[in-house]
Amino acid sequence: MKQVVSVSLGSSRRDHKVQVELLGDRFEISRLGTDGDFQRALELLQQLDGKVDAIGLGGIDVYIYVRQKRYAFQDGLKLMNAVRITPVVDGSGLKNTLEREVVRSLSEKTGLLNKGMKVLMVSSLDRFGMAEAFYDMGCDMTYGDLIFTMGMPYPVKTVAELEEIAGRVLPELVKMPFQMLYPTGKKQESQDEAKVQQFASYYYEADVIAGDFHLIRRYMPGGMNGQTILTNTTTREDVEFLREKGAGVLVTTTPEFEGRSFGANVIEAAMVAIMAKPLEQISPEDYLELLGRLNFQPHILNLKSSSV
Amino acid sequence: MATHTEITESLMVFKDKYNKNERLKVMNKDWDRVVVIKATDIESLHTLTVWKGVVSLNEGTTEKPDLTVISDSETLADIFYGDITPTEPYNDGTLKILGQEDDIIRLDFISLMIWGE
Repeated sequence: MKQVVSVSLGSSRRDHKVQVELLGDRFEISRLGTDGDFQRALELLQQLDGKVDAIGLGGIDVYIYVRQKRYAFQDGLKLMNAVRITPVVDGSGLKNTLEREVVRSLSEKTGLLNKGMKVLMVSSLDRFGMAEAFYDMGCDMTYGDLIFTMGMPYPVKTVAELEEIAGRVLPELVKMPFQMLYPTGKKQESQDEAKVQQFASYYYEADVIAGDFHLIRRYMPGGMNGQTILTNTTTREDVEFLREKGAGVLVTTTPEFEGRSFGANVIEAAMVAIMAKPLEQISPEDYLELLGRLNFQPHILNLKSSSV
Repeated sequence: MATHTEITESLMVFKDKYNKNERLKVMNKDWDRVVVIKATDIESLHTLTVWKGVVSLNEGTTEKPDLTVISDSETLADIFYGDITPTEPYNDGTLKILGQEDDIIRLDFISLMIWGE
């Protein structure tokens, strides 16, 4: 049996382990959260190195892709460099390919995404592929990175402006401690009440809210009116949270196993274990080809009726 | 070592660059903050005030700043002239910023929007 482990800076309350079959191979996939403890994550990674088939890094981005440019978070690199033998991925390679396809697929095969729809991406620089796909299909975009990360009431409306701001700030911001830019550990279990109140209108005005689930959750107000949520890494508790807030449909981009939609890092790690080739030789086309064989489809859950 | 006058001039350059940037003024229209800049190796205190998106500069300090930026005179002048970014001196401890984490990131962001590539 192949073993894939995700080491996450997120809450240990979300830990789980499942066994699945992918293309004829049995996989044991587990997730270990360190509650924001960076040192503990480093130690876990060193312990697992050479003992499992692939490792995913969760709760932290290592690489951010903005078109042809790649930015690397220093904290993420420290974790990645702690692993010397086992392939280790952060999900960014998969996000850049899978999430573009999901947007295209939802647009072509469902009525959930249409040209002109208002889409709020609570953060978009961590999933530029999705951000670009929405824009290209003609959605009315609000890229909320500055709103929710910086607290600035400044919705970025175009991919061009997003790219321009990224070019100015990302080369330096990636050197900052990661927890200053993204909620880790226990912060993932709470909401930022001040920002929930201050920026609720961006949620209410959107038809679709997309992106990182921890961020979507952290700033979501009550009294939503049936919006579609496009994300991943959701648990049964998260589904209940969304239902209570009044969201209408949950679409998860990664496959669901035993009621859990796994993070992109986990799925990318499993795919790397299947491909069994050096990371530097894996291209976006390889991911796309394997995604086709795995036949991963977005999972759509109607939160009003609980029907899949 | 930079002089008090050099720090003042660097802060004036920073203030002018900021105030000419209409987008930054919109971004910070509701971020009213008082920032004190203090040198550790010479007598030099300044106060930058962000009010309704516009930045003003005064010499001296104020009682209850939201943020206090502390470093040696050379580093302060370098940062506000845009010769270096605040990130590395902040990470290596040469630059200390006292205040809320969100405000520290915001100040870094403003600096990068002014001086970034």
